[in-house]
Amino acid sequence: MLYVVLFFTLFSLFLYVLLGGADFGAGIVELFSSSENKKITRDTAYRVMGPVWEVNHIWLIILIVIMWIAFPVYFNVIVIYMHVPITLVLLGITMRGVAFIFRHYDAVVDKSQHLYNWMFRISSFITPVFIGMTFGALIGGKIIRTQDYENFGFYELFMAPWLNTFSLLVGLFYAALCAFLAATLLIGETEGNDRKMYSRKSAYATIVLVVIGFILLVYGYYNEMVFITDFIHNPVSIIAVSFSGILLIPLWKSIRNQSSVWSRWLAGLQVVLILFAAIYAHFPHIIIMAGEELSLLENIAPPSVITNLGIMLLIGGSVILPGLFNLMRSFNMIKIFNKNAN
Amino acid sequence: MENLDFARLQMAFTLGFHIIFACIGMVMPFFMIVSHKKWLNTRDPIYLKLTKAWQKGVAIFFVTGAVSGTALSFELGLLWPGFMEHAGPIIGMPFSLEGAAFFVEALALGFYLYGWDKLPEKFHWFTGVIIGISGVASGILVVSANSWMNAPSGFDYNNGVFSNIDPVKAMLNPAWFTEALHMTLAAFVATSFAVAGVHALQIFRKKQIELHTKAFKIAILFGAVAAILQPISGDLSAKDVAERQPVKLAALEAHYETEKGAPLYIGGIVDEEKKEVSYKIEIPKALSFLAFGDFDAEVKGLNDFPEDELPPVAVVHYAFQIMVGIGTLLMLAGLLYFISLKKKSLLENRKFWLFFIFLAPLGFVALEAGWVVTEVGRQPWIIHGIMKTKDAVTPMPGMKYSFYMYVLLYVVLGITVTWLMNRQIKALNSSKDS
Repeated sequence: MLYVVLFFTLFSLFLYVLLGGADFGAGIVELFSSSENKKITRDTAYRVMGPVWEVNHIWLIILIVIMWIAFPVYFNVIVIYMHVPITLVLLGITMRGVAFIFRHYDAVVDKSQHLYNWMFRISSFITPVFIGMTFGALIGGKIIRTQDYENFGFYELFMAPWLNTFSLLVGLFYAALCAFLAATLLIGETEGNDRKMYSRKSAYATIVLVVIGFILLVYGYYNEMVFITDFIHNPVSIIAVSFSGILLIPLWKSIRNQSSVWSRWLAGLQVVLILFAAIYAHFPHIIIMAGEELSLLENIAPPSVITNLGIMLLIGGSVILPGLFNLMRSFNMIKIFNKNAN
Repeated sequence: MENLDFARLQMAFTLGFHIIFACIGMVMPFFMIVSHKKWLNTRDPIYLKLTKAWQKGVAIFFVTGAVSGTALSFELGLLWPGFMEHAGPIIGMPFSLEGAAFFVEALALGFYLYGWDKLPEKFHWFTGVIIGISGVASGILVVSANSWMNAPSGFDYNNGVFSNIDPVKAMLNPAWFTEALHMTLAAFVATSFAVAGVHALQIFRKKQIELHTKAFKIAILFGAVAAILQPISGDLSAKDVAERQPVKLAALEAHYETEKGAPLYIGGIVDEEKKEVSYKIEIPKALSFLAFGDFDAEVKGLNDFPEDELPPVAVVHYAFQIMVGIGTLLMLAGLLYFISLKKKSLLENRKFWLFFIFLAPLGFVALEAGWVVTEVGRQPWIIHGIMKTKDAVTPMPGMKYSFYMYVLLYVVLGITVTWLMNRQIKALNSSKDS
């Protein structure tokens, strides 16, 4: 049953990164668009993602709930030492959710739309940056785990682990990833000039992504960060990342041909490969602290809890996944399943 | 104040906020599907208009509830890491099921909101029913996790170690049924009276009377039935608390002395220093009867519990008085509504509408007061008799700032959502019947 639980943990993580990411990305693409294109993006993204909007973000809740049930010690370290960045993420999620509902459901359309839109765009950008920074801090090797809180300063324990160049780079990398996903998704939802615009944006996002990714590796390598050096020396991770790099070639071709089906599959696959490579290099030691590593599989919940959770997830999954699939299909959202999409 | 106090305040504040949105998001779908059904049956366009207006309300409250719920699911860990590290695995089952129910609700909402003219009519209506059912299921499951904190079960506890964990037994803890029943009814009472009050105000102001009267009738029916059933559920809860948390019972009644044939105190001013209650109304032997079904039963007083295991008495006692007082008033209002069905002249009386406008916020006041009773009444324990709240709180200093930030955020949010609702109603009133 542990494998079922692990499967759903990774499954929710991947889906949150992909679906939640595309959702954040739509706001980022909007932020970095000319004012005319802002409106086009706003309307297209709402048409495409509106019906699954709430669903995209529930993956995060599922992920968190699995974490605290099955991996309580691991969760404990995250919530104690990542208190500040997680609070900032929550602030961003709240602002974004509220701005989204305001701009699409307000009964009166007037000047306040301007405020909602900016609130939405800015929080769409900031939230994934903080999510990335939190992840960066978990792998950055700066967390000091202690029971002796008196002898450390607030900054040292609760700020320094995440407020640093490496974490910021990871944050920006994730934001770029989101923008890349959204732009690639939107290619297939538009026609003519708009389609060209998203193809262009998708290409820009890819360049930004590759550049930040490269800086991240170089920075980590020269600062001898355990995560990066292990990553570079892990053959499977390197193969996964290289493969993801090679996929850029067909991706660029399909973007140039404005092929929505292929570009989506390829973009999704690339993101999964990158995430897989990052997690695999260190699995199950996903938290790297100063002088210590914490394994996900260490101190897991007792077998009765894991079995129960596994059963719940299987039941829940068998209800939810077909429902989600049907919802997406009903609204013609996943054209990737539709052979006539092009 | 210490870090612990600010952490508790922040939890109280964010939960208090979330509860309002969660309840509305849970109950309003029922009004919506009744109105929708009436539209399908009668093809009266007013019902269609009403359904669509309520659907917007549902969407707005659902999303606000969802984001504040996301924040809460993190906050449990952020504020109480010591609690979640041990309790997380034990009460995981209701939370994982709740996650699934919430997911189903979000899916059904997606179908419902975007399904007009796209899905077959009956199926479309049915997705609305699923929103309602899964919403109530979510509520019950979350409450069951809370009731475990009052009635911890499904594990062995020795020298600070939790072992032999049985998640099913933990979920179906002895308090889950009474608490879930009380809260579900409370959600219906509070939301129904609030929604009915809003429509009563429009009727009072003579705006779109036909539409608002139809709306009022649908909403108040749920509220009136729930308000009349609530005292029965309250009685079950009281007996349950009397049995398992006698100190909480003593606190909510501000009962200091142990006595047989204990009187019920109504109102009164609690002096925690002198350990006495002045200016109260006493009903002889009533507390013994209500708590144990026997006029001469012994009720243990606060003085007979260890000093360091007492909750703040005054807060709990006042909150309990507010909850019961409002509950009684709303039950009478429910009866009044049923009388108005026979005596139609009441509906012409402006005072009738004024009364329901006055009642609008009270259900939520009672609901919040009820949570104060159960949560503050459990202090100093976070898990009754097992773990103290002070041992669960985050070691991170500076919770003060976090608390102020959340207050600011949620106050702004509360004001904007109210303003948004006001705009919805205005738009509804100004639009022509088509």
